[in-house]
Amino acid sequence: MKRNKSGILRMERKWGILLALPAMLGLLMFTVVPVIASFFFSITDWRIGNEMTVIGFDNYATILTEDSTFTKSLYVTTYYSLFSVPVCLTIAFLIAFLLNQKVKGLSIFRTIFYLPTIVPSIASTMLWLWLFNPDFGLLNSMLESMGFSGSRWIYDEATAIPSIVLMSTWSVGNTVIIFLAGLQAVPAHLYEAVEVDGGSGWRKFYHITIPSMTPTIFFNLVMMLIGTFQAFNQAYVMTQGGPNNSTLFYVYYLFRTAFTETKIGYASALAWILFLIVMTLTFIIFQTSKKWVHYEGGNK
Amino acid sequence: MLNLRKHRWLAVLMVLILAGVTACSSGNKGGNDASSSSGPSSSEPAEETASEAPPAEHVDLTFMYWGSNDEKKAMESMIEAFNKSHPKITVKGEHVPGDYNTKMNTLMAANQLPDVAYLGDGLTNKWGSEGKLLDFSQYYDQYPALQNKLKASYLYTEPGKAVANFTALEVMVLYYNKEIFEESGVPVPPAEPAKAWTWDEFVTVAKQLTKDKNGKHPGEDGFDAKNIDQYGFSFGSDRGTYGPLLESNGANILDESGTKYALNSPESVDVFQKLQDLIYTHHVSPDLIQQQNMPDNHVRLQTRKVAMVLDGTWALLDLTNNKKLKWGIGVLPKLKEPKTVILAGTTVVFNSTKHPKEALEFYLYHNNPEQVDLYRTGLWMPTEEKYYTEDEAIKSWTDNEAHPPEFLQAGIEYTKGYAVKSPSTQIKNWPEINAKLAPGLDLIWTNKKSAQEALDELESQIQPLVQGRYPNE
Repeated sequence: MKRNKSGILRMERKWGILLALPAMLGLLMFTVVPVIASFFFSITDWRIGNEMTVIGFDNYATILTEDSTFTKSLYVTTYYSLFSVPVCLTIAFLIAFLLNQKVKGLSIFRTIFYLPTIVPSIASTMLWLWLFNPDFGLLNSMLESMGFSGSRWIYDEATAIPSIVLMSTWSVGNTVIIFLAGLQAVPAHLYEAVEVDGGSGWRKFYHITIPSMTPTIFFNLVMMLIGTFQAFNQAYVMTQGGPNNSTLFYVYYLFRTAFTETKIGYASALAWILFLIVMTLTFIIFQTSKKWVHYEGGNK
Repeated sequence: MLNLRKHRWLAVLMVLILAGVTACSSGNKGGNDASSSSGPSSSEPAEETASEAPPAEHVDLTFMYWGSNDEKKAMESMIEAFNKSHPKITVKGEHVPGDYNTKMNTLMAANQLPDVAYLGDGLTNKWGSEGKLLDFSQYYDQYPALQNKLKASYLYTEPGKAVANFTALEVMVLYYNKEIFEESGVPVPPAEPAKAWTWDEFVTVAKQLTKDKNGKHPGEDGFDAKNIDQYGFSFGSDRGTYGPLLESNGANILDESGTKYALNSPESVDVFQKLQDLIYTHHVSPDLIQQQNMPDNHVRLQTRKVAMVLDGTWALLDLTNNKKLKWGIGVLPKLKEPKTVILAGTTVVFNSTKHPKEALEFYLYHNNPEQVDLYRTGLWMPTEEKYYTEDEAIKSWTDNEAHPPEFLQAGIEYTKGYAVKSPSTQIKNWPEINAKLAPGLDLIWTNKKSAQEALDELESQIQPLVQGRYPNE
């Protein structure tokens, strides 16, 4: 009896490891090893096709002290992130709030708002390229028919990033879904308590909905921040970083350094600096979160 | 028993990890060690083993190229013909649409290079100077055809060391819509290089061909620069545009020694200022933003959005295929003397190939006008000298609808007597220099700065990247 049991245990352990192996190997080969390798490259001067020598932290020093393109791309990315995250979070929250109401055809609305998220990113970027067209694009046609003068959108230094922010509000579907789930988890008895006390709809929203939603807002904030720092497609497909580098997103600059200028070592250092920046930002948000995120039944 | 089994799993795991790590690190070395290359890139193991067989038996080669569907079709039939006529060699063509340089860089990093491939001039120079490309000069005796091409079609990374040859010769010319000229009663652009328009003549013509929505021309009372229906001329923002004009004005990107940034010299500033003026002073050209959103050049001409365009001779193919358009070809206006530049990609043989001789045989075949249709359809111009000098040979590729009568002057004579390699093809580190140059020039194209200011500001960014020039022979 005892032996038998341990045989099953043994078999379970064997199969367990066997079945987990593909995932473990995948993580190891496609994540852990490349991460270690990229750190190693970042301390070399490797350019594709050349010998590689270890040069210590020279790449980092060059990036931080001499590289004006790095500064520009970091500025562009930060600008985009600071602009896009609050705008998208607010819009996503409002959409989720509306989708949480009891109206007819709710599932249709939910589908419509989620739909853009399913469209492949490149395809939706192409679509916006047409919308932004200054001469015959839909946006300018609409503005002009209402008597406004059109904009140059992504083709003007001043309006390029705001245009891309506008575009990013289009695909907040995933964030909306998470908000929606959060909204539905807000305990109904709290609302009832406000109602009993004679509170208005606004009071319910301000005193119940928002505090209950802070963990969800926190999660979406972190995810979105990381996402915006990795913006790439817009520059790759729409603007190639132009005009005058006004849309040179950090990751696009990194990609160009690696695959156009063939400087893999330098690009790896760029990648690690990005990692440190995102990690620091995330850490800061986590620190501040203690002050504004409320967990039900937890330490407020 | 149990322990051993545990260890066995651990061992398997370790081996797999090791395999993963070594696979990566052997790829990481990049193309350092050409001899360790596993031969032609191929996903089929059967082919790899075949390529390891002695060359006398049977040789497999891979050939990688970019291009439109027309080009792909032409390449496929060329490869098929080659394979039929060379029973001991099998070439496998691989068409790469999209981001070609990224693909090549990745293959180089992974040591998976093809034997023969198209390559942009920037990478050709870089890899050529690093010894990654086959030096053709050592095969001149064996393959005399390698050295009877036009001088301007060779790329040298060291004196006498020809690492590549342009796949085809392409020069920048002026195309125009014939009907617009006829209706306006303006003489068409000259096809004879010696009779090229001066810049002022060109601007005058461009003004006559520019019309706002009321039919008024620039300079006339009530001309509405914001609602232009038809532009006289459109041009791109890259070296294809400023390259020939710099040459024509005796200016260059770097100074004569090749060590100093020279785009802010008076001759060079003059060129960029003239181009900026076409857009913002004379109103005969769309600005770069309008341009980016305009259709291809042949459609611009056909829809009468533009009367003249600056483009390469490769555009002949599209122009000919556009049956609704009556077009002509002329030479560019001159600043000091008539000049144009050759701007083309190259085809190279990688040093990592195990079969250089067979690769060269294919190389000579792949751009032989007798084997490839692309010359007669207009996409390519031959590199071999006889196709520019011997009447019979000239006729063999130009006597067709893709080459109008004036092509003999605006195409052949222009290339033979007035075309130089684009200066950018000789500048070391060009891809990096251009990465700084292009955004800087945006300031001129968008009228944010005058040419002088923008080009002065660029000096501090570009000078540190200057590494000299490659030789011309």
